[in-house]
Amino acid sequence: MKRAIGCWLLAVGFLGACSNDGRTVLTVYSPHGKDLLGYLETEFEKANPSVDVQWVDMGSQEVLDRVRAEGANPQADVWFGAPAEAFDRAAKENLLEPYTPSWAGAVDGEARHPQHLWYGTYLTPEVIGYNSEVLSAADAPQDWDDVLDPKWKDKIIIRDPVASGTMRAIFGAIMLRSIARTGSEEAGYEWLRRLDENTREYVLNPTILYQKLGRREGIVTLWDMPDIATLQQRTKIPVDYVIPSSGTPLLVDAIAIVRGTGQPEAARAYYEFVTSTPALLESARRFLRIPARTDLHSDSLPAWIRDANARIKPMPMDREILARDLDRWMKYWDANIRNQSRRK
Amino acid sequence: MRRSAAGTWLLALPVLVLLLWTVLYPNAAVIVGSFEGGLAHWREFLASPADREALSSTLIISVASVFAALVIGVPLAFLLTRFEFPGRRALRIVATLPAALPPLVGVISFLFLYGESGVVTRAVQDLFGMDEAPWRLTGIWAIVFVHAYTMYVFVFLFVSAGLERFDTSLDEAAAGLGASPRHRLRRVTLPLLIPAIAGSMLLVFMNSLGSFSAPYVFGGGIRVLSTQILASKLNGAMGLAYVETTVLALSAVAALGLFRILQRKQRVVSTGKGSVTRRAISSHGLRIALAIAGAVVVIALILPHLMVILVSFARDGVWTTQILPPEYTLENYRRLATDAQLWRPISNSVLMALIATAANIVVCFVAAYLLVLRRFSGRPLLGLLVALPWAIPATAIALGLAATFNQSDIWTGRVVLVGTFWILPLAYFIRNIPLVATAAESSLRQLDPALEDAARGLGASWWLTMRKVVIPAARPGLIAGGLLAAVTAVGEFVASIVLYTHANRPISIEILAQLRALAFGTAAAYSVLLILLVLAMAIGARTVEEQYA
Repeated sequence: MKRAIGCWLLAVGFLGACSNDGRTVLTVYSPHGKDLLGYLETEFEKANPSVDVQWVDMGSQEVLDRVRAEGANPQADVWFGAPAEAFDRAAKENLLEPYTPSWAGAVDGEARHPQHLWYGTYLTPEVIGYNSEVLSAADAPQDWDDVLDPKWKDKIIIRDPVASGTMRAIFGAIMLRSIARTGSEEAGYEWLRRLDENTREYVLNPTILYQKLGRREGIVTLWDMPDIATLQQRTKIPVDYVIPSSGTPLLVDAIAIVRGTGQPEAARAYYEFVTSTPALLESARRFLRIPARTDLHSDSLPAWIRDANARIKPMPMDREILARDLDRWMKYWDANIRNQSRRK
Repeated sequence: MRRSAAGTWLLALPVLVLLLWTVLYPNAAVIVGSFEGGLAHWREFLASPADREALSSTLIISVASVFAALVIGVPLAFLLTRFEFPGRRALRIVATLPAALPPLVGVISFLFLYGESGVVTRAVQDLFGMDEAPWRLTGIWAIVFVHAYTMYVFVFLFVSAGLERFDTSLDEAAAGLGASPRHRLRRVTLPLLIPAIAGSMLLVFMNSLGSFSAPYVFGGGIRVLSTQILASKLNGAMGLAYVETTVLALSAVAALGLFRILQRKQRVVSTGKGSVTRRAISSHGLRIALAIAGAVVVIALILPHLMVILVSFARDGVWTTQILPPEYTLENYRRLATDAQLWRPISNSVLMALIATAANIVVCFVAAYLLVLRRFSGRPLLGLLVALPWAIPATAIALGLAATFNQSDIWTGRVVLVGTFWILPLAYFIRNIPLVATAAESSLRQLDPALEDAARGLGASWWLTMRKVVIPAARPGLIAGGLLAAVTAVGEFVASIVLYTHANRPISIEILAQLRALAFGTAAAYSVLLILLVLAMAIGARTVEEQYA
C-alpha cells in the first residue's frame, strides 16, 4: 500500500517536472484540427524558440462556450478559428481584446470587426455535397431550393445544426433571404420545415457524416467546400460538391486575441504568424483553406481556389441581424421544426 | 454502537466537509442559476414541447434500461457463480468486457455493427435479399439497446459479488430442510441479494439518466435531457440549461429516495464468510444447450470489440457498399507509432484515473463505513452527498466545477483548478463517488454489525477491528467499485471535453481529435490501445483481488 502511494507521488512529481521547460506557454483554442495546428506550431516555434504553443482542438461552438465560461479567468490567449458570427457574439460579451494586424487593410469590410476585435483568416463557402458514385454532377441538386424537391425525401443527411457553425450559417442565410424577400420569417421557417421533411438524419460530427454519405445512408448533404475538398484529397470517400447557382453564404473564419491574456506579446506574434503570406499560402496548398486576405497573388493560389473564387456568388449576410436573431431562430427550429415530419 | 460519538464525528467531519465543498457547492450554483431572472427560465422550460418530450423519453429510456440490464445481468451472474459447465471460465472473462469499451468508442462501434450500413445489418439484408436495411439504429430503442449492453455489467458485477459473499451452505441447509428450489430462491437467495440488485439498479438508472454518448450519436431521432442541456448551452441559453439540469437532478433524487425506501425495508444479513460451491450440471442435453447459448452470448459480447479492431486495420474511405471493409492495412497503427505525442494522452489518463480512484477508495470506504455501521445525526446528509453526483449529469458537474474553481478566494473556499492538471482528476473523483461508495456499502451491508461490536468487546483496538473485520468485509466491493471507477475514469469523455487542457488531455479527447481529423482508422487504432489498457487494468485488479483472497 505504502509502495503504491509512493509510486504515484513519484509519478505526479515527474509530471510536474516535465510540464514546464521555461518557455512562455501560449494557449490557442481552435477547431482547425491536428494537422494544420501541428504544422503551424512547429513552424512558429522554429521562428520563436522562447514560446511553447499549446493548442486545444475543439468544435467552434465549443470554443465560444469555453471562452464564455472562462470569462473571469481566461485560460486561452488566442482564439483561432470559428465563423465570424461566433466572434461577433464573443465581442458583444466583451470577451475579446482589440488588435489591428499589420495587413488590416488587405481584407474586405465584411471580414473584420469595426473595432478590430477580430479579423478574417479564411473564407468558407457553403455548398451542396453529394455521393459521386450514386449521382452525377448534373443529377445533383444545383441550388438551395432544389434540395426541397420531394425526390430527395429521406436522401439528405446533414449535421446537427445546433452544434455546427456551418449549418447555422446556412440556416441563417435562408432566414435572412426570407426576410429580404417577404419581410417575414415565416417563409424561412417553411423552407426549413420542408428541409426537415427530406432529411433522413441529423448527424453528430463531420466524420460520421462523411462515413454515412460514403456508405450511401444518405446521398445529399449541405456542407462546406474546403472540407469536401479535403475529403477528396485525403480519402477515397466518393464525394463531390455543387456550388449553389443562386449564391452561397461565404463564411468568414476569424482569429482574435482573448481578453485578459497573460501573454499579449506572444499572442500578437502568433496572430501575425498564422496570417502571414507564407503561412496562408501553405494553408491553402496543404490544408485547403481559402485565405481571406485579398492581397495575395492569385497566381500563387491553387487552381481550385481560383476556380471557386470565379464561380461563387456570396449571399448577403447581415451580421447584425444574425447576432441578434440567430439564436432565437435556432431555438425555434430545435423546438418546433426538428423531426416534426417524422412524427406525423 | 452508542460508544464514541465524538470518534464518529472525528471521522465523519473531514469527509462531510470534503463532499460539501466538491460535490454540493459547485452544483448549488447550477440550481441558483436556474432562478436567475425569477421563474422566467422555468416557464420557458414548461412551455417548450421539446423539453417535455426530452423529459419523458429520458425517463422511458432509463426505466427500460434498468429492466434490460436486469434481464441480462441477473441470470448471467447466477449461471456463472452457481453452476459449472463447459466454457464457464471463458464466459466469465468476456462477461465484463462491455465495461472495457469506453462510452464514445462503444457507441461508434455499435453504429458500425448495427447501424443502417453496419456489418450485421447488411449481412441480414443480404441474407434475406432485402432492398432496404431491416432496421434503423435510431430512437429510444437504439439507446436502450446500447445501454443494455454496456450497463448490464453493473448488475452482473454487483450480483456476482453478492453471490460470492453468500454462503451456499445456507441454501443447502434450506434444501435439506425440504424447501423447494423456488421457495429457496424467494426466501433465502433473493433477500440476501436485494442490496446488490437494488444498488446496481440504481446505478443503471442514474447512468441512463445522464447518458450522453448514445443519445448524442443516435440522437437525430429523439431528444433526451442530457443532450438538450448541451444544445441550450451551445445556443447561449444558460438559464434554460440550468433549469434542464435541475429537472434531471430532481428526477434522479426522486429515484434515489425510492430505492432507499426499498433498501430500508430489506435488512437481511449473513454472518458467514462466504463460501461458494458450484453445482456441476449433470444433464447432458442441458450442458450442450448451455454451452451453445454461452457461445452465442460470448460472440454478442465480444462483437463490438472485434469491430473496433477490424476498423483499426481497415483502409479509411474505401468501405462503401460492402458488408465488410474491403481493404486492410497497417497504416493506421503506423501513423499512431510515428506520432510523437502518442503517449501523452495515455499517461495522462492513467495517472488521472489512478489519482481519482485512490481518492475514491479512501473517501468512499470511510463514507460507506459511516453509513452502514455507524448511527449519527449527519448520516442522512452523508448519504445524500455520496449519491448526489449521480443525480447530476457529467456536463453539469463539469460546468459547476468550471464556475467554482476558476478563481482563488479563501473566504468563499475557491482555488484555481480550471486550466490546471488537477481539474480532471477532481471531476473523475466526483463522478465516481457513488459508484465506489455503493459497491463498498453493499459489501458492508452483508457484514453483521454485531461482528464489529464483538471484536471491540473482545478487546481489539478500533484500528485492529478495522483491519481484521471491516476492511476485509468491504474489500470485494471496494475492488469491484474501484476497478469500475478506474475504467470509467480512463475512458471518461463527457466531463473531460468541457474541462480538459493541454496539460491533461485524456485519451477520449485524442480519439475525438482523430475522428475530427477524418482518421476513423487511427481513431479505432487508438481505441484498441485504450481497450488493451483497460483490460490490463482489469487483470491487474484481479491479481490484487486474488492476492488478498
